[in-house]
Amino acid sequence: MRSLRRFLARLANFATRQQNDQRLREEMEEHLAQQTAENLRAGMLPAEARRQAVLKFGAVEAVREDYHAEQGLPFIEGLLQDLRYAMRLFAKSPGFAAVAILTIALGIGATTAIFSIVNAVLLRSLPYPEPDRLVKILFNNPGTESYAVRFSVPELDDLRNRAGVFEHVSAMARGSTDLTGGSQPERLETLITSSNYFSMLGATPQIGRLFGSQDFTPGYAAVAVISDHLWRRNFAADPKILGRTIHLDNDPYTIVGVLPPGFRHPGRASSQDVEVWITSGFSAAPDPPPTRSARSLPQAYGRLKPGVTLAQAQDRLTAMANQLRHQYATDYPSEAKWTIEILPLQEALVGKIRPTLLVLQGAVILIVFIVSLNIANLLLARASGRQQEMAVRRALGASRGRVVRQMLTESVLLSFMGGATGIALAVGALKFMMRFIPSTVPRGSEVTVDWAVLSLALLISLLTGLLFGLAPAIHSSKSDLSTAIREGTRGSGYSARSNRLRDALIVSELAIAVVLMIGAGLLLRTLRDLLKENPGFNPTQVVAASVSLPYPNDPRLDPYLTIARQSIFYRELQRRINAIPGVELAAFVSDLPAAGSPFNFGLGIEGRPFKSGEELRAEPIIISPDYFKVMQAPLVRGRYFAEDDQDGKLPVAIVDESTARRYWPDHDPLGRRLRIGQDPTSSWRTIVGIVKNIKHDGLDVDGVPHVYISIYQKFDAVQGVVFRDFAIVSRTSLPASILEPQIRHQVKSIDPGLPVYNVTSMNELLDRSLASRRFSAQLVGGFAGLALLLASIGIYGLLAYMVGQRSREIGLRMALGAGRADILKLILQKGIVLAAVGVIAGVILSASTASMMASLLYGVRPRDPVVFLTVPLLLLAVAILASYIPAWRATKVDSMAALRDA
Amino acid sequence: MGKKPDVLQGTLALMVLKTLDVFGPLHGYGIARRIEQISGDLLAVNQGTLYPVLLKLEHEGSITSDWGASENNRRARFYQLTRAGHKQLQAETKDWEQTAAIIARFFEVKAEDLS
Repeated sequence: MRSLRRFLARLANFATRQQNDQRLREEMEEHLAQQTAENLRAGMLPAEARRQAVLKFGAVEAVREDYHAEQGLPFIEGLLQDLRYAMRLFAKSPGFAAVAILTIALGIGATTAIFSIVNAVLLRSLPYPEPDRLVKILFNNPGTESYAVRFSVPELDDLRNRAGVFEHVSAMARGSTDLTGGSQPERLETLITSSNYFSMLGATPQIGRLFGSQDFTPGYAAVAVISDHLWRRNFAADPKILGRTIHLDNDPYTIVGVLPPGFRHPGRASSQDVEVWITSGFSAAPDPPPTRSARSLPQAYGRLKPGVTLAQAQDRLTAMANQLRHQYATDYPSEAKWTIEILPLQEALVGKIRPTLLVLQGAVILIVFIVSLNIANLLLARASGRQQEMAVRRALGASRGRVVRQMLTESVLLSFMGGATGIALAVGALKFMMRFIPSTVPRGSEVTVDWAVLSLALLISLLTGLLFGLAPAIHSSKSDLSTAIREGTRGSGYSARSNRLRDALIVSELAIAVVLMIGAGLLLRTLRDLLKENPGFNPTQVVAASVSLPYPNDPRLDPYLTIARQSIFYRELQRRINAIPGVELAAFVSDLPAAGSPFNFGLGIEGRPFKSGEELRAEPIIISPDYFKVMQAPLVRGRYFAEDDQDGKLPVAIVDESTARRYWPDHDPLGRRLRIGQDPTSSWRTIVGIVKNIKHDGLDVDGVPHVYISIYQKFDAVQGVVFRDFAIVSRTSLPASILEPQIRHQVKSIDPGLPVYNVTSMNELLDRSLASRRFSAQLVGGFAGLALLLASIGIYGLLAYMVGQRSREIGLRMALGAGRADILKLILQKGIVLAAVGVIAGVILSASTASMMASLLYGVRPRDPVVFLTVPLLLLAVAILASYIPAWRATKVDSMAALRDA
Repeated sequence: MGKKPDVLQGTLALMVLKTLDVFGPLHGYGIARRIEQISGDLLAVNQGTLYPVLLKLEHEGSITSDWGASENNRRARFYQLTRAGHKQLQAETKDWEQTAAIIARFFEVKAEDLS
């Protein structure tokens, strides 16, 4: 209580700056006067009386200091005083302050920007209640090396009823659908889910209701839930939307609810967010009857029961999978080793992006290190120059702790100023960077600078401030008083000890720069190789436009039910597109190159029984006869499809070289027969042609076998997958933007219910498929450039400082007959030795860590000799250049002036 | 700026309180004189250390001060015990007496007393 009162009194004094000496001085005067009078009475002479009084009073300064300390809050006062002093110092050398603050700002800014991405994507938990209990359920056949395979409704029921570890299990299938009835048909992302999907996620509606058990039917329920975005965009946020009917792929659905604005389906946002949710039991038409082997469901998420840990659930599921394999031996071939695995949903969503982000994170951490080392060096150099000041302070009675505190205050102030600038930079840069964040990054839209990011940035600022301030602070406080004061007047602070410390800092800085540059080199080389990679066709002057034929659940609503009806549509559309002026030739394809085909089917090969352990698989791609001509994809042997390869004629197929080499390594596949799927009733297709590989799955994916099938020949739905989405590819000199309205018009004139979307040039499509790699390569490249710049500034600063400190010595050497070349050599040698040691250390460090980047590289080895040779040479060259300037300046030292000053 | 031991600081504060309690309002020199008279050596030198202690006590609310006129009609600051200071003095006196009694017993103890 009393101490609080005392604190408040001091705080009040401190706040009102009531620090005047007046009262103490008057009291001391009075005290001395009384004591002197007393002494006079005791018979002393006046002068002696006064002297004795002063002696008795004690050390006036000490009393005054204690008194002042009691008057205010000495710690904060000291801090403020140090801050004021530091500001004055920075103002006195604005160049130094600006360089230091900018350097820190770049480091902190880069860290903040990258961390805000990492935070949103990797760290922040999913925006659903109790997100830790949400898992993704994966079905794997490790025996045949196929993972995340589809599953059947009985297997889903097992998870729900038999496993006993889940509160909810929901099956779901991503898809897209044609929404008709608006001003123009639209393509929407849909999600078909079990009716417990929303209860599993814990979602609540904005208006209306979400799915519940009343919506459970074996087939599709005629109700839909829509996103807030769709509600506002297409229905003007009409609150009376509930009960309205919309048509999705011609099927009617009644809207029963609208989700709140923040709700997003927890999935990888490959194109857009889901806007319509539909529910199904997945066990009636168009789905196959629910038998155990009818595995048509692609995805399942579950919510674990409260208190069930991941490990417990996994154990239970493994045991259950074992039981099922024994119980239904015919449905689970023993060599497949069918298993069930669960992954935390958050981890499952992050998937492929994790290594990229971790590399970026690593890169910014290295940048922060370099920044700290650079600033430490800068401060150390300054500290050496200020040794005299520090020595005087100590001589005047400042304790060592007080001197360290003052130096630390300066460096922390510096780092906070840099940090604040950096955060401002990051906020600005992030908006800019968001445009380059590839859409494949999950939860990319959630990236913001939030409190977690801000506090981390401030913490890093503080830590770097302490880190780079501590060495110089301790160093300067240690200095031997008498030597420093003596030497100070002479200005040669280049002692061996501080010298070694600075050298070590520079060497580590260079080593880290090498690591960053090698990493960037590897990524950039990968990117360059990929850009030069032959996609298997000529993408220039090709425009692609996506169209989707509706696929209603009710066959009576399906205008494209038969291949004959589809063929009429395709032929008519082809005729019309070909007639557009400027279009040379157009064709259709089910999956555009570099877009990635999600469907990978078992393959039957005539005369080759299914052997255990060997899985025959291929991706079917459905094309119109002119496809390869439009793409200018070379034919290796045989022929392209012809117009009359149609239904009723001999079923044909074209394979690519990958397929040919993989399945007919010693034979010519021409004339041999295969079929898609292992269903023995589907028809054999005769191979009529072999084409070069086309990179259908992305420029960085190799060797996936493809089988091409004519769009005019019947393709049986395999595993419930039907090809209704296709793209028009046109070889044309027109840009996509000009062609788009014409294609739209032509499609509309045949069927006004068909949406046309994603109209873009093929080159852009290929480019986009590299977006994520480009993003990380350019970012790390930028960091590496920054590191190189900082390292060269560091080495320049060190040598320039050294030249300044040793100018007397240099002058003396020159006076004694050393030539300019000798001096040049002296300084250059120092720079080169430092650079060489740093580069060697960096190369060793890189070589031992490069394998961590392997998953991000394509066609480049983690220890690529070109990169490992170029980077050290580049850095050495820059280091020599950076050392040359101070070395040259050293030769300009006027020996007479230098010696006179001495 | 050598640090005085805390015990001395503490006792000095207590002496100030007691002095003001016994002699009523006094100025700084007066307090120093009284303490010197009673304690002998304690304030024979370094009388100045008294002033920070006075300020601290004032901040704590144990004493108040005001300007007044000294014996030789000069302006001087007079210190006076407050109610809170009075209570504090009583409490601390009790504490001191207890501590002193315990310590005294320890000084008097002999091995055979405890066997």
